[in-house]
Amino acid sequence: MPSSNPLPPKENALFKRILKCYEHKLYKNGLKFAKQILTNPKFSEHGETLAMKGLTLNCLGRKEEAYEYVRRGLRNDLKSHVCWHVYGLLQRSDKKYDEAIKCYRNALKWEKDNLQILRDLSLLQIQMRDLEGYRDTRYQLLMLRPTQRVSWIGYAMSFHLLEDYKNALSILATFLDQPQQPSNFDYEHSELLLYQNMVIQESGDLKGALKHLETAQDQIVDKLTLKENLGELNLKLKQFDKAAEYYEQLIQRNPENTMYYKKLIEAKQLQTSEEIVEFYLQYSEKFPRANPPRRLPLNYATGDKFRNLVDKYMRRALTKGVPPLFVDLRGLYGDKNKVEVIEELQLKYVDALKKWSKFSESEVNNGPKEPVSALLWVYYYLAQHYDYLKQTEKALSYIDAAIEHTPTLIELFIAKGRIYKHAGDPMEACSWLDEAQALDTADRYVNSKCAKYMLRADRVRDAEASCAKFTRDGVPAMENLNEMQCMWFQTECALAFQRLGKYGEALKKCHEVDRHFSEIIEDQFDFHTYCTRKMTLRSYVGLLRLEDVLRGHPFYFKAARCAIEVYLKLFDDPLKDESAEQELNTG
Amino acid sequence: MTRENIELGNVTPHNIKQLKRLNSVVFPVSYNDKFYKDVLEAGELAKLAYYNDIVVGAVCCRIDVTENFRRLYIMTLGCLYPYRRLGIGTIMVQHVLNYVEQDGNFDSVFLHVQVNNEVAINFYKKFGFEIVETKEHYYKRIEPADAYVLQKTLRKSGQVNGTIE
Repeated sequence: MPSSNPLPPKENALFKRILKCYEHKLYKNGLKFAKQILTNPKFSEHGETLAMKGLTLNCLGRKEEAYEYVRRGLRNDLKSHVCWHVYGLLQRSDKKYDEAIKCYRNALKWEKDNLQILRDLSLLQIQMRDLEGYRDTRYQLLMLRPTQRVSWIGYAMSFHLLEDYKNALSILATFLDQPQQPSNFDYEHSELLLYQNMVIQESGDLKGALKHLETAQDQIVDKLTLKENLGELNLKLKQFDKAAEYYEQLIQRNPENTMYYKKLIEAKQLQTSEEIVEFYLQYSEKFPRANPPRRLPLNYATGDKFRNLVDKYMRRALTKGVPPLFVDLRGLYGDKNKVEVIEELQLKYVDALKKWSKFSESEVNNGPKEPVSALLWVYYYLAQHYDYLKQTEKALSYIDAAIEHTPTLIELFIAKGRIYKHAGDPMEACSWLDEAQALDTADRYVNSKCAKYMLRADRVRDAEASCAKFTRDGVPAMENLNEMQCMWFQTECALAFQRLGKYGEALKKCHEVDRHFSEIIEDQFDFHTYCTRKMTLRSYVGLLRLEDVLRGHPFYFKAARCAIEVYLKLFDDPLKDESAEQELNTG
Repeated sequence: MTRENIELGNVTPHNIKQLKRLNSVVFPVSYNDKFYKDVLEAGELAKLAYYNDIVVGAVCCRIDVTENFRRLYIMTLGCLYPYRRLGIGTIMVQHVLNYVEQDGNFDSVFLHVQVNNEVAINFYKKFGFEIVETKEHYYKRIEPADAYVLQKTLRKSGQVNGTIE
């Protein structure tokens, strides 16, 4: 351990034991050894020992003393990389990343090839998105450890993140050209190849990417990603026949994925809605159990064709009892004609089911009767239909008919509450959700919905009590919801407090939400080393990109807007400071 | 595709409100808190009936021991109006009869029914129940107030003590 102030062998051995204790989290023992060195008057001001003592104290939660000792140690030995490194670690644990980076740089001045410090520095740089700095550090790490896989990956990735695809690709190629150990030809190798392909695609060289993927196919074990990429690349390169082939295979694999159908239509260059509807009908015969080939043509069909298809689609769902049928079809409501057709059909169902337990008179003499619940689901659909069209009276009459028919179905009470919510009566809405919740207190979804409606009705305490049924016992629900980063609750809660004029409480909730976002960004730290080691590079890059725009999330937006409004309100119209007023009076 | 699926499920503290709601719609009599408290302890003797995953019926029984007779008493057995004549009642009665048969130590199964409720009387007769008694002024707030006792005898009475009358 080179230092401007080296310890004699006995003390040096003790010092090494402090380091060991720190690594193994034996902080109490570490302090004992530090004491043994520092009680010797000759070494009572030994910089590195003081610094280590400070770092150890920090781990025991004694932050102020920690800073005191670390700074004192550093002052006594400004040329020690240990002291600077320790100061950096202390700042890092305090989340002062910019300061920590400066400390690491100082440490490297005195020991430029220290691997541990370089690694710590590179982590902070990627965390702070100092991409150029990251690239330079990764370069040094590669030079020091050229045989390690991680060194190459990290260096290549730094160029990728800087959008310097040429260098990124040449480093990856050089690394992959080296003789590989056979055990590498597994999932990790496969992921590396897919990452390489991702970089080629992002560089814009689609032809090269396709060629690369085709050559590498046998080594890629993630066949789904492989095929999706092959399909996509062929499509972009307008090699439609090949693209179609891949999407056919993908549909075979998973006929529920709507994207595959859309891409296949693109590959088959189908233009008119007739062609597209015809295409879906073929596939619905081929995959009779799959939903997309029955649902998607409804987007394209018009006139009698639409009436025919939507009739079949709705009957099947009503027979079976599919509660979200309306949500499923809501996407069609942009088209007035379609809305009319649906309404007309549903109204006919009501009559026919009442009279004959059939969807239409023409079937009276053939096939089995519809289940009794079909009429119930038609009422339920019509209630939501009229609610969407803002015809509150009709919506209520249908939901009441449904409740009269089957007063035990929970969905009906939720729908009734929603109708009142849309009509602008959050109190009444809330009371219906409360009813729904009471019918099945083990249903967490309904419980959460109910709590949300309570918040909309400014019943914060009731909402908390309601959530408490599903939070950990022995902890106040508010606390546990915060711990679980339950942000739908916290944002709605902030807004309720804001409406109630409890500005302090509202701000408290907003800041809790903000803290969650900071924590999520903080949590990245674990992935920098983990992902490069496990070779999950595509997901890692995805994560980095997500974190870069994290605060664009609607929850953050809600909380931020609420906080801004509250702060502006308090600025324009400050609270009367009672203590200040009193002082004025007595003064 | 089968269109109708009927299943029985347990009554729990979580869904007991569904039972209350059902009973309040189906029966002209209202039941007190004690009734529902006991139902929660009743195990297989209290069941909800589901039709396509919706609660549409329920049966609640208790064991009655008087004068050396161990009998099963059906307190309530009912089904929402639109879901009648679909075999849901039969499944519930069958469940009760299976229960007493497996237990093997019941003298009879019995219940009360309003004297004018022909549909119910005929329904229970199908399963071997008979009218064994008429209780006058059995019901307090409904008309007619008289009730029949319907009973299905499972073994000759008095066998508990080993004495055969």
